[in-house]
This record gives sequence, structure tokens and C-alpha cells, in this order.
Amino acid sequence: MKLNMILGTVAGLSVSLGALMAHAQTTLTIWGLDGDNNLIGTLAAEFDAANDDIVVDFRAIAFDELVPEALKAVATGNAPDIICLDNPDFAMFSSRGAMLDITEMVAASDIIDTSVYYEGPLASAMWDGKLYGVPKATNTIALFYNKDLLDAAGVTPPQTWDELLEAARALNDPENNVYGLTWSAKGNEEGTFQFLPWIQMSGGSFEEVNGPGAVKALELWKTILDEKLASQDVLSQGQWDSTGTFNAGNAAMAISGPWELNRMAADATFDWGVTLLPTEVAGGQRSSAMGDFNWGIFATTEHPEEAFEAIEFFVAQSDRLFPEFANIPPRSDIALPSTGDARKDEALAVFVEQLKYAQPRGPHPDWAKISKAIYDAMQSAMTGQASAQDALDTAQASIDAVLGN
Amino acid sequence: MRPVKHTYLWLLAAFVFSVIYLFPLYWMYITAIKSPSEIFASPPTFWPNDPDLSIYPDVWEAREVPRYMWNSLVIAFGATGLTVVFGTGCAYVLARYRNIWVDVGLFLVLMLQVLPASVMVTPLFVGFNQIGLLGWPRTAVVLGVAAKSMPFFVVLVRAAFMTIPRELEEAGLVDGNSRIGAFIWIVLPMARNAILVCALLIFMQAFGEYIYSASIIQDQKLAPASVGLKTFLGPNSKDWNAIMAYSAMYVTPILAIFILLQRRIVAGLTAGALK
Amino acid sequence: MKRLFISISDGKGFDILLVGLAMFFLLALAGIPLLYNVLMSFQEVDMFTLGSFIRPWAGLDNYRYIFAQPEFWLVMKNTALFVFCSMAGQFVLGFGLAIFFQQNFWGASTIRGLFLVSWVMPGLVVGGIWSFILAGDYGVLNAILEGLGIIDEPVFWKSDPDLAIWAVIIANIWLGLAFNMLLLSVGLAAIPRDLYEAAELDGATAWQRFRTITLPMMRSTIGAVLALGLIGTLQQFDLFPAMTEGGPANTSSVTQYWAWQMSFKQYDFARGATISMLMLVFVFMAAIVYVRSTRGEVRG
Repeated sequence: MKLNMILGTVAGLSVSLGALMAHAQTTLTIWGLDGDNNLIGTLAAEFDAANDDIVVDFRAIAFDELVPEALKAVATGNAPDIICLDNPDFAMFSSRGAMLDITEMVAASDIIDTSVYYEGPLASAMWDGKLYGVPKATNTIALFYNKDLLDAAGVTPPQTWDELLEAARALNDPENNVYGLTWSAKGNEEGTFQFLPWIQMSGGSFEEVNGPGAVKALELWKTILDEKLASQDVLSQGQWDSTGTFNAGNAAMAISGPWELNRMAADATFDWGVTLLPTEVAGGQRSSAMGDFNWGIFATTEHPEEAFEAIEFFVAQSDRLFPEFANIPPRSDIALPSTGDARKDEALAVFVEQLKYAQPRGPHPDWAKISKAIYDAMQSAMTGQASAQDALDTAQASIDAVLGN
Repeated sequence: MRPVKHTYLWLLAAFVFSVIYLFPLYWMYITAIKSPSEIFASPPTFWPNDPDLSIYPDVWEAREVPRYMWNSLVIAFGATGLTVVFGTGCAYVLARYRNIWVDVGLFLVLMLQVLPASVMVTPLFVGFNQIGLLGWPRTAVVLGVAAKSMPFFVVLVRAAFMTIPRELEEAGLVDGNSRIGAFIWIVLPMARNAILVCALLIFMQAFGEYIYSASIIQDQKLAPASVGLKTFLGPNSKDWNAIMAYSAMYVTPILAIFILLQRRIVAGLTAGALK
Repeated sequence: MKRLFISISDGKGFDILLVGLAMFFLLALAGIPLLYNVLMSFQEVDMFTLGSFIRPWAGLDNYRYIFAQPEFWLVMKNTALFVFCSMAGQFVLGFGLAIFFQQNFWGASTIRGLFLVSWVMPGLVVGGIWSFILAGDYGVLNAILEGLGIIDEPVFWKSDPDLAIWAVIIANIWLGLAFNMLLLSVGLAAIPRDLYEAAELDGATAWQRFRTITLPMMRSTIGAVLALGLIGTLQQFDLFPAMTEGGPANTSSVTQYWAWQMSFKQYDFARGATISMLMLVFVFMAAIVYVRSTRGEVRG
């Protein structure tokens, strides 16, 4: 009902605008991924259809190419009007003045209300106190566990790091090709995405990665690997492949995110559940990674009003994000409807709880360099090339250089 | 040439080699029809527990495969044509003489190939943008790919020209042919097979070219199949079933054509067509 | 004017025109980008100056930065290992298969055609498939080796720091085998049969025939195959992101992957260009070896 009203308002608004401008056709170019059931492409096409005076030109770009394409476009003056960027990449553009400052427009908007957004996603779209984008959706990671295996071993879902290690030891069953745990410690952004929350849980941050808690976390990861409680391939496989082994019944626990739910519900032949990421000590500080993309308008656009209108239109569709596109809205005022699968609903409730603790990566214009320092340290410690302390000290030195400390 | 003795033993050995070598191809076909989690099951299954063939029609429809394939064909034909036209003459001259300039030419041809496509694409993009070629993106990709394939073609076709007896060309000149005439009527026909083989190899590489197309072709309707393939990889998910099914659809026909063609070309060579 | 026309149709002008066209094309579409990268490696670049030639001068700073990276020597060592072992594997196996299929038995040429599959498969897919095959737990290679009793513990091809580069080398040998075999087959086919028959009559063994007839006759083919093989190996890129992403801990990173990572993951285009300049050294050597190999050629 509410959706229809908003849709009506948007459509009405654009029709009257269209009448005013007579035949003045505006072309808006929008760049984004075509994943998530073609979320961006679908919404772009709908906006196009709803506005006679606006033609939308949507270009789907592979995840790896998105930022390089955007950089090249900025350099050659071919930037699109609107782009949807992964949140850690956003600051590189907003901090350099490549994105349009939409603080005022959002303040005047009837549709976008920043107060309902989660803090983390919103922070990733801010730079220097100004708002340059609007979060498209959000996600985070938590601990999946195989209920059947946990019950058989008499283990309860672990709540602290020590319990996690104990659980992994108890569940590890090489005879039957079952590892205690799986996650991704890959040497790329995914590895940082998974490890940074552990640094944050122990009181650190991306600016301070070599505290005693971070060292302890990395030593724990190495112990899990050394005791063969996880496959050594966690070093080379991403979250999707790693959770695939959990779904296939070859790992008893997995650290992954809500994007996994549909495949798990379809494939897993066992009962499973999700619990919050274990904390350093019982009742300790919680943290989690924060994923997903932000909408932004390039500063070079010739049609800022129309572009902002498009973003308002996308935001107005927030309650469709989950049912149609399996994306979690980045705001607290939209209740997720039941999926009809009790396991998924329970899992989502945990993820929504976990989202409260999700922190953005950065925002920092040189996030990629900070991230590399973190995953390089993680990998060199886990492969035994350096002690956890030395590896994180090296990372800290690199990060200090990037931060200019 | 005499047939070998024990022809069945040779055939058996050939069969074993090809089974080993083609195993990854087999893995591509069956990964496509496994369930998304069975792909990661340990121990691996050599045949899917529950083969799901619907992935093929699904991908075919969802990705508009025919359109992507058509664009791949256009780019591959264009790039191959351009390479053959420019490269053949260059290879011929570099094979005809033996002096310091030929050394310089060969050296340049190789050195200009030094950078990987990923590093070349930014300056090419910038350059094409400056001369306005981005408005004809497939043409721009064809130019880039042709430049990338040229050294490969020149080096190989030059080696083929080297095997053509010089006396033949000289006899042609004595018979009253001009240089152009001798080149077209005497030298080219003799190198035909080598040129065809190299052109075919370049065609296939150009068919699968990814990096230039992804960057230069911004309109989805003009993008080749390789670009379509990459869209199955998301930030958190990798649709391996679709990737493998899509690639099976694109590899199978081209492989079939190639097997048929190479049989004729290489068999022609084996029969001693050159000498 | 007329003389120019005659020269073009019937004299030196013809040669110059043929080479000139190709060279002009190459210089424009490969030479200028190369120059752009050389220049960029001495400059400071950001997202707004990526499109221009004139940028703040950085001197050797980018080079100093790259040389000072902890992974620098590791990457150089990996590149050398990757190039040498991939090429050796591709060439030896490719030559062996070419000779094998050169034998006149039923079905030889059709089966040889099947081997060209690796030339057609998209790099991303090859990387993905090998990544599955070489996985420690769900990998089919380990399953087969365990079944044959060769290993009792899974080998983590992609994640063991001592093995990761070998995982990529194995996949790359598979990938390049087709190319080597096909070109060497064409070279072999060009050798006159009567040479072998005469040698056989003289009582030469198979090895002697190979050494005294096959190798010398194939000199220019081998030179071409090796030179192109080296360039192809140096440009082999798709396997790295699909299999190991250069990890664990950079133990499988090579120059071309590092250059890409610097440009397109760290968004540091100037230093990416700087790393790619290091590859000039490798190709420079290849070009010299190739040009020298053409010196001893005998025109047919």
C-alpha cells in the first residue's frame, strides 16, 4: 500500500515535470553490476518506463571492472550520471570531488530520510561530513553451523573465540571428510572483509591493526589451520566456494553472509542455523564486516535533478529489495517479510541483529592499500612466513604510511 | 609415408593421452549440471548425483547468448582479416631479405608485444577516446586485437615463407611478372596453408578476447560472449554452473568446427603439400 | 610520380610499402600505448590525469617504491620459475605429442584436433576448472592420486606456499600445449620424408635422425615457437585471478599479475606501469634470442 503511494507520487511528479519540459528528452546513464537477480538493471528499466521524458541507458559491468571503468571514465570525461559502487571503493571517488555532494538534496527530499539508515552503510557514503551517496543495500557476516553435526557432537553454537576453537576441535572429523570450520582467508578484499571484524572485536580498527587482540585473533586463525581444523584451501578460496564446502557437508561451521541463504536452503541436506560472530570474551565487544553497494551521482553530470530523482525512485523501492532481489535494505524501518522457510527467517533475524555491529571498511580514499596490508599480514602469518605479531607490525607500518602518520 | 606397425597400439596410446588431456573439458561439462554445492563436495563426484540439464536453456535465455556470439564473431572476423591483410605482406618482406633492417623489424615486432593487454587497455582507451573511435566500439576493439595478434602472425607466417624456395619467385619474375604479380600468384599460394592455420588460431583467440572488449564496448548490445561470461561473478557469489554452461555453449561449436578444419589443414601439410 | 608508382609495384617500394603499413599500424596501436606506459612509470598519476600525457614528474620514485616492496624478489623469482617451467613443459610435451601424432596411424589427425581444445577455452573457465581440479579436498587430482595410492594426505596445490606457483604452472602447461603441438606439427610436416628414408637406409637410429635431421630442419619453427611461447607465458594472466590471486602470501604472484593488481586493485596506475616495465627485460632477452635464431636460417 505504502509502496503504491510512493510509486504514485514519483510517477505523478515525473509526469508533471515531463509535461513542463515538453519534448526535452534527458538521457541518464547508469552503471552497475548485473548480479542480485539484475536488481540495478530492473530498477533502471522501471525508472525509464515510469518517466516519458527520461531515457535510461544502463550498462552492466563485471564486479572486477567496475572501479577501473569508473576511473577511466572520470579521466576521459565519460563518466555516467549515476553509478553503484562497492562501499569501500566509494571514498576514493567522494574524497576527490568526483561525486556530487547531495547533502542538501537529501535534506530537502521527501523520500530519502537518513535517520532511518543504519550507521555503517551511511558512513561509507559520507566524506568530510558531507553525503555523497545513498546505500543501496547492506550485508554482513555471521557464523553458520550444521545443527545435525553440532547435536551429534553435543556442541552448542560457540559464542567466544575460545569456544569456537573448542567447537572446531570437537566437530573436526577427518575420517568422514568433515572439517570443524571454514571461512575465507584469501589474499584479496574478501580476506580483509573476513578478518577485519576480528581486529575490531578486539578493540582495534583499520587504523590500528597490531594490538594484542588482533595478534590473538590471527594466532587463533593460524592454530585452526595448523591443527587442520579447516582446509588449508581457506587461503585460496573465496567465501562462496568455501561456504560451498559447508553446504556439501564437508565443514561443520562456516563464516559467511546472507547472500548464501538461497543456495544453502536449496542444497544443504542437513539442518543448519546462524549465530552471531563469536566475540573475544563472553559479552565482549561485537563487530562485523559490512558489505554491499552505494548509489552515487558523478559531479560531472549535466542532469543532477533527474539523477537524484532516479535515486529517489530506487530508494522508494526499498521494501522490494529483499522479496525480489534477496538484498537486505540498509535501513531499520523496513521489516523483512517471511520467506516461508523457517530456517531462512531465523537466519535473517540473526543477520539483522549482526548488522547493528557492522562497520564500514574505511571510508578511506586509499582503502585498497590498507586492505592489502591487512590481507598480506594475515596470509604471511597463516603460512608461517612471519609470526602474527611481526606480520601485523609490518601491516601497521604500511597502513601508517598510507594514513600519513 | 608408410603406416606404422601395430596401428591399434598407437591408437590406444592416442586415446589415453586425449582422455587425460580432455579431462578438464569433461569437468566443465559436468560441473555445469552439478548442484551448486555438489561442486564442492569431498570426495568429488565423477558423475553428478542429480544432473540438472535445465541450466543450459536457462543460461541461453537469460544471457541472450546468440547476440553475444554474433558480436564475438564480428570482432573475430574483423581482427583476423586485418591481421592477415597487414601481417602477410610484412612477414613476406621480413622473410625475403637478410640484413640489419630485417633484424630491427623483427625485434620491433616482438618488443611491441611486450605489455599484457591489461596494461595496454588504459592507453588504448584514452587514445580511442581522443580520436572519437569509442563511438564505433567494435571497430576499436578490432583494431586493438589486430595489433595484439600481429606479432604472432608475422613471426609464424614469416617462418612459413622461409620454407618457400626463392628460385620459384625469381623464375616468376623472369617470366614477366611484376613484384606484386609474383607475390600474389606464386608466393602466396605456396604459403596458403600456413596463413590459414595462423589465421584460424588468431580467429579463436580474438573470439574469446575479453580485456579490450570489456573496457571499450560500453553498450551491452555490442558486447561479445567473453564479456557476458564475466557477469556471473559477483562480489560474494560465483555462479559456477552458469559459467560452465555458458562456456560449454561457446566452446563446443567452435571446437567442432576446428576439429573438422584442422583435419584438412594439418592433414594437407602432413601429406607434404609444401614440398 | 610514375617512378614512385613503378617502385611500389615492382621494386624496393613494394617491400617498403608492405612492411611500412604493418609497422605503422603496430606503432600506432602498440607503440604509443607502450610509450604511454614508459612515460607513466616516471610520473605521478591520479584519476583525473589518467587521460593525459603531461603529469607531475616523479623521476625514479615509482621504481624505488617497487624495488622496496617486500614481495619484489619473490615476484621476480616466481616469474622466472613460471616462465621457464611453463615453457619447458609446453615445449617438451608439445614436441613429443607432435612427433607422436606425426606417425601415420588411423585417427591420428582427428585426435590431434581434440587437443586444440585448450586454445579455444576462455581463460576464466580454464582457471576455474583447474581451480576445482587442484583443490585440496574436493579436487579431483587428489582423489585420483589417493585412489592410485600415490599420496595418503591431500595436497593443497593452491594453498601450500611451496606449491601454489606450481598449480598455476600445471594449468598453464595444459593451456599452452595445444599451441606448441600444432605449430611444431606444421614444422615437422614440412621436413621432406626422403631425408628420413635415406638416413634410415644409412642405419641411423631414431635418436640420430631426430638430432641430425629434425632439429636442424626445424630451427626457424622452434625459434618462432619459443619466442612466441615466452611472450604468451609472460602475458598469461587469466589463470592467476581464477586460481590463486597470487597467494598465499604472494607466493604465486608474477610480474603480469602484480602489475594488474597494482593498477586495477590498488588503483595505482603509475606503479602498475612501472612493474610492467620490468617485463621489458624479459621480452628484450626473448627478442634478442629470437632475432639471433633467425640468423642461421637457410632459405628453403
